[in-house]
Amino acid sequence: MKLAVKEGCFGYRDGTQILDHVNFEAESGDLIAVLGPNGAGKTTMLRCTLGFLRWTSGESTLDGRPIRTIPARELWQTIAYVPQARNFSSAATAEETVLLGRNAHLSVFSQPKQSDVDFTHALMERLHILPLAKKSCSEMSGGELQMVLIARALAAEPKILVLDEPESNLDFRNQLIVLETMSDLARQGITVIFNTHYPDHALRRSNKALLLHKRGKALFGETHRIVTEENIRNAFHVRTVIGEIETDERIYRSILPLELAGEAVEMAPDEDRIATVSIILPDDAQAEQVNAILHEYSRFLVGRMGLPYRKAGVHIINVTLDAPKAEITALTEALSRLERCSVKATFAG
Amino acid sequence: MKRSRVGALHPAWAAVLVILPVLCGLAALCIGRISYPIADIWNVLTAHFTGIEPDKQMGIVIWSIRMPRVLLAALVGAGLSVAGCAFQSLFANPLATPDTLGVASGTSFGAALALLLGCGLLGVQAIAFAFGILAVTLTWLSAAGKGRGLSSVVLGGIMIGSLFSSLVSLVKFTADTETQLPAITYWLMGSLANAGFSSLKWGAPFIIAGIAVLFVLRWQLNVLPLGEDEAKSLGSNIRLLRIVTIICATAVTASSVAMCGQVGWVGLLIPHICRMAFGTNHRALIPASVSLGAAFLIIVDTLARSISAAEIPISVLTAIIGAPFFIVLMRRSRGWQI
Repeated sequence: MKLAVKEGCFGYRDGTQILDHVNFEAESGDLIAVLGPNGAGKTTMLRCTLGFLRWTSGESTLDGRPIRTIPARELWQTIAYVPQARNFSSAATAEETVLLGRNAHLSVFSQPKQSDVDFTHALMERLHILPLAKKSCSEMSGGELQMVLIARALAAEPKILVLDEPESNLDFRNQLIVLETMSDLARQGITVIFNTHYPDHALRRSNKALLLHKRGKALFGETHRIVTEENIRNAFHVRTVIGEIETDERIYRSILPLELAGEAVEMAPDEDRIATVSIILPDDAQAEQVNAILHEYSRFLVGRMGLPYRKAGVHIINVTLDAPKAEITALTEALSRLERCSVKATFAG
Repeated sequence: MKRSRVGALHPAWAAVLVILPVLCGLAALCIGRISYPIADIWNVLTAHFTGIEPDKQMGIVIWSIRMPRVLLAALVGAGLSVAGCAFQSLFANPLATPDTLGVASGTSFGAALALLLGCGLLGVQAIAFAFGILAVTLTWLSAAGKGRGLSSVVLGGIMIGSLFSSLVSLVKFTADTETQLPAITYWLMGSLANAGFSSLKWGAPFIIAGIAVLFVLRWQLNVLPLGEDEAKSLGSNIRLLRIVTIICATAVTASSVAMCGQVGWVGLLIPHICRMAFGTNHRALIPASVSLGAAFLIIVDTLARSISAAEIPISVLTAIIGAPFFIVLMRRSRGWQI
């Protein structure tokens, strides 16, 4: 399933341009973050993409078919939408709300069947929200409600999940629950697209990012190429530093806002650096996935060593690269998204 | 595995809700200026099958006077509660009812106008329906802009309602003071006294059809109170669903108004009592509203015609009984929510 937007433009009648030539493609397993300052049109972008609003020019397509030509029932069995939780008010219970997600699979006059109820309960169990089944949505915490809304969307068994600010207004732990759920879904092959206020979450979770600017400009690409100090400064008018936080297993990149900034300056192009990337895998099976990723960077490879250490059941790979720093970061990011894979890069001085 | 009926009525409750209006109806047949024991009622009702000829006067009282009245009360009660329920979901507003949205005033004006023009019952209903649709559309347009807020819908409804109320006054002003004015005034107060099978024949089908369509769509109605994007993303044709709901609820209101004038409160009271008792899922809410609405109005109408020598206007009683009962319920439960 490929969801794509081609040359999407949107503006109001008075001439204000909100979105200007937005282009992106989402494929199975992609986790795409839509970033941008307040008022840049993130929600508008999602609404246009899904056909709730009409692009003034350009179009959204699903596997090449314009979304507006796809019958509603078929479309909403493929794509599911999670609205902003703060706009949601309903006194229905969690299970009733989630069951409503089966709607796209039911005919207009029918009632949900026992199989739909069982499906709903199994889904809620999987998302650890079954204990909430009888609780009214109006009495839930923000985190609970968000998970219920995600469950409702997943009840349609979609191939594409679109979320509008799923982790806003949540505490640390609930943010992690939501983000971890999204990562899991992406690993299962579902395309996940989410709006966010947090460049950090884009950096940590998404493999691709769409960065929207105030005056309509949009950048799309792999996250590490989009979420850079330079681009963030351009879009948010904030000077940031992308730092690294190290644990025993891995290096995490994190973005720290420093100060307000005016218009951006061009940064110096990246120079080539020499670095060794050390990878420890929990099993041999993952070695193949790693090889596939390394293959994309073969032109930068200088040396490589693989060592299956059977006694401990781990697989160790060391590669040396001569490449721009951005490429090396890209490689470690891609590897970090594999499950239980420890990755670190060491740069030559 | 145990069957779990998410949002649907428990079978025991369903049985109670089927039996309740029937029992109320039978009791209402017994009670009146002349009271009959239930056994006599049974004989009269089954006379056609058993061939036993009941007392002639009793037969007339039950079949021609009380029966149409009980049926009318049941239909109007069920219809107005379901209409209220549908309007509340449609506007995502607990205060939306045929009365507050101006629909009742609109249909009243239509009906009064039709009476002035000397139309028959079917004409009265058609014109009442047309003005009901006009009223709800005007309310929608005046309030359903960007911020479809709670108060703006009700405010819009009050405006449209008072507009049509003044138009009703205008109709009264131009009506013939000897014949038409008393007819219009008496009928506007709301009374089931004129019930008869001939008027039921024309009014009942619309009420029954409106209730039936909403009943069949009861699962889909759960989507109504959600935001437009959300409803669409659940695969519903929300525009069509809204239009069908408005047509059904307005047809029911128009037929009720045409047959027995404005009966207030039922559309607010019954749906909220049902929400408090059975939750907000329309799978349970619609059947429960039908049943309790019918039972409620049968009881109220029986009281209206039997507690004093002169008949009390029914709207007076629905408010006197309804308001305190509702306030107690509201304070006890979690309040009203859609």
